[in-house]
Amino acid sequence: MIKVRHLKKVFRTPQGEDLTVLSDINCDIAKGEVISIIGPSGTGKSTLLRCLNRLEEPTSGSIEVDGTDILDRATDISRIRRRMGMVFQNFNLFEHLTVLDNITLCPMTLLGKSREEAESRGMELLEAVGLHDKAGNLPCELSGGQKQRVAIARCLAMEPDIILFDEPTSALDPTMVSEVLAVIRHLASQGMTMCIVSHEMQFVRDVSTRILFLYDGVVYEEGTPEQIFDNPQKPVTRAFINRIRTFEARLENRRFDLYGLFGKIHTFCAKYGVVGATLDKVQHVTEEMLCGIMPFNGPVVLTMEYSEKTSVLSLTFTEEKPDGPILKGLDEDSLSLLMVRGMSRSVSEKEDGVVKVEI
Amino acid sequence: MRRLVFIFAAYLLCACSADKKADYSDVHDISDLKGHSVAVSMGSSYDLMLSEMGGVNLVRLGVSELLLAVESGRAEFCIMDQIQAGMLNLADRGLEIRIRDILKGTAAAGFNKTDTQLQAEFNAYLRNLKESGEYDRWSERWLSRPDSMADEALLLTRKTAGSGSRVLKVGITINYPYIFYKEGGLTGMELDLMNRFCFYAGYGTDFQVTDFSALIPALNSRKIDVIVSHMRVTEERAQKVLFSDPYLQGGGAAVCRTSKTVSAKLRKGPWDRLKSSWRRNLVEEKRWKLLASGLLVTLEISLYSILAAIVAGVILCRLRMGRSKSIRKTASAFIGLVRGIPLLVILMIMFYVVFASASVTALTVTVVSFGIYYGAYFGEVFRMGMESVDRGQWEAGLALGLGKFQTFSKIILPQALTRIIPVFKGEVITLIKTTSVVGYVAVMDLTKASDILRSTTLDALFPLLLVTLVYIVLSQLTGWGLDALDRRFTPKNRKS
Repeated sequence: MIKVRHLKKVFRTPQGEDLTVLSDINCDIAKGEVISIIGPSGTGKSTLLRCLNRLEEPTSGSIEVDGTDILDRATDISRIRRRMGMVFQNFNLFEHLTVLDNITLCPMTLLGKSREEAESRGMELLEAVGLHDKAGNLPCELSGGQKQRVAIARCLAMEPDIILFDEPTSALDPTMVSEVLAVIRHLASQGMTMCIVSHEMQFVRDVSTRILFLYDGVVYEEGTPEQIFDNPQKPVTRAFINRIRTFEARLENRRFDLYGLFGKIHTFCAKYGVVGATLDKVQHVTEEMLCGIMPFNGPVVLTMEYSEKTSVLSLTFTEEKPDGPILKGLDEDSLSLLMVRGMSRSVSEKEDGVVKVEI
Repeated sequence: MRRLVFIFAAYLLCACSADKKADYSDVHDISDLKGHSVAVSMGSSYDLMLSEMGGVNLVRLGVSELLLAVESGRAEFCIMDQIQAGMLNLADRGLEIRIRDILKGTAAAGFNKTDTQLQAEFNAYLRNLKESGEYDRWSERWLSRPDSMADEALLLTRKTAGSGSRVLKVGITINYPYIFYKEGGLTGMELDLMNRFCFYAGYGTDFQVTDFSALIPALNSRKIDVIVSHMRVTEERAQKVLFSDPYLQGGGAAVCRTSKTVSAKLRKGPWDRLKSSWRRNLVEEKRWKLLASGLLVTLEISLYSILAAIVAGVILCRLRMGRSKSIRKTASAFIGLVRGIPLLVILMIMFYVVFASASVTALTVTVVSFGIYYGAYFGEVFRMGMESVDRGQWEAGLALGLGKFQTFSKIILPQALTRIIPVFKGEVITLIKTTSVVGYVAVMDLTKASDILRSTTLDALFPLLLVTLVYIVLSQLTGWGLDALDRRFTPKNRKS
């Protein structure tokens, strides 16, 4: 149904610099599919979605909808948009119209429906999203979740072939997310073709038929929810899915600032809720490793990774100029090593000069 | 209502004040005026004379304000035409003439330097009149029975207005008994003379009430063809104006407050004063008609100016929000420029420079000037309204498949209007009140009409208060009208 080839979008910053958000996007959306687009912030997920109905003008590439090139100047984009609903992060309900008028405006102006027809369909849709009794209210009298449900009903009133969801729950307070997601889930179960940009991972996993992982301006990895969530193939995908946070410090020689380093570690750990005994362990392990075990043939790089999903903290100490294995060269009774072993789940040296400690 | 009470309180206060004792019995000559404050008509020969003499605290005013200045105590003396002074019942107003025959001289009609033909015709007519002895009879009757003569002259005015092969635009200044209003029409001694001449020579007339100081510029820019405003012949003026033979002898009189105690009988209470003011300014000789016609002009100018300013505002707003950076900058610079020039200056430039030679009416010039000036303000108000509507509203409309214009008219505009109207209301009311400056370019609006009324009845305060009241009512009505419009566009009120 939608075919995107070599899509490129470059933004010009106010300073006059070019910022390439999408460099080469290729994807297809077939009828009945529920495609979710995920990826780190700033990778152009929303931009891609907005290019699909030309709210953003792509810089180059092609987008075909049912065989029509929508980037062609001759294409009546309004006609295409009528068949592509869009749900915005900020709802964008028409503030001056009542809930029912929001829904009936476009069917009446664009589809030539009579007021009676449009209103009776509008009431059906409101009932479907559970807001039958709010028909006469103004948008400013609704909660965020209710607004978003009205926005979905407004899209449905145009009987679209596909609905684009641009972070539909990002502006909502957590208590209202589920009511909106429930409506979208219901639509998915009815076979509506949808394209969703979302950060609700559990929801994306449940509802999608296919997932596009966007990174660095391209579709970095693509697959079924199982493939992406349970067995991601590429490192960035893995880091994103497992919500791995990293911290890195480079220590020039043995006389580095230990307490400064502790301060930074403390800040990093505090950010992700690593406190108390675990934080103490991290500090002790770091001190023993750097002051007792690492030989400092050259600079040493400390990398700390924390997976929010599994709560595993791993510390990697890397000699930049390795000089044979470190752990093997140590005395089995080395006090430092014993302490490190005692405080961690595992200590290993996969290659010479790289010691990994998991806490 | 509170405002009304306040104004009448102020009126009574003014009416009761100004009772200071004064003694000017030692003033016999012009040189004795040194050290005193003297009100003179701006640009008049008295003004020039006293400026040259020095030592006098000059208060330069319009002709109609001179007596008011003395009555209210703003000036100790005023110098006015002595024939006029003699005709007024000065004693009743607690005033007296101190010096007579100031700057005795002759008054003549003034023509454009190039218009020697017309000057010759006028001189021939005047000579004829004087030789036949008709002139003496005519002037004697005017000076002894001005009211009955005024009625006759009024009829002639109606006859000559606009008829004839060439219509002479005559610049006049309201000054009883030479030119004044009666029963909604112009009349007076000079006006009568001009009418007779035009009737005799087969011209039509178009009398344009102009400030005295603006007469010569208007003549030179061809806004008028002839000045008939008891203008004294002086050397300086003769350099700019082609004068006819003199038709009037004249001199000034210095008027001050009388030193005699005004008898209790003559001194009226404030209520009686108000009543007699009402009668004198509105009822007598149907003078209300003058104000009514002024009000109509004010309404006309306001309406057209508002429409013109809205059109200009929409265009400027569109340019200001356009895609091209250079157009945006140009529009913004234009708005800055227009807002930086006083409205009155724009009006003058339009009248005397831009449209000087074009045959457009003063009304058109006024509407164009107001349109440009307020267009700059309206444009910014519109832009503010448009920009206050969230970008998302555009996107939502477009994404649903509405065209650009449909999105604008059905979604953006209704929301922008609710933000624009309250600010717009203030601007519109300001515009209506500012139309009061159009008197400067010889348009007779409500304020000008009240000026004319004041110079006719020489009653200072009442006409001012009356027009104040009218402007307040106009502003209130406009405000209510726009509030009603606002309510229509505010969704909360419309819902039920």
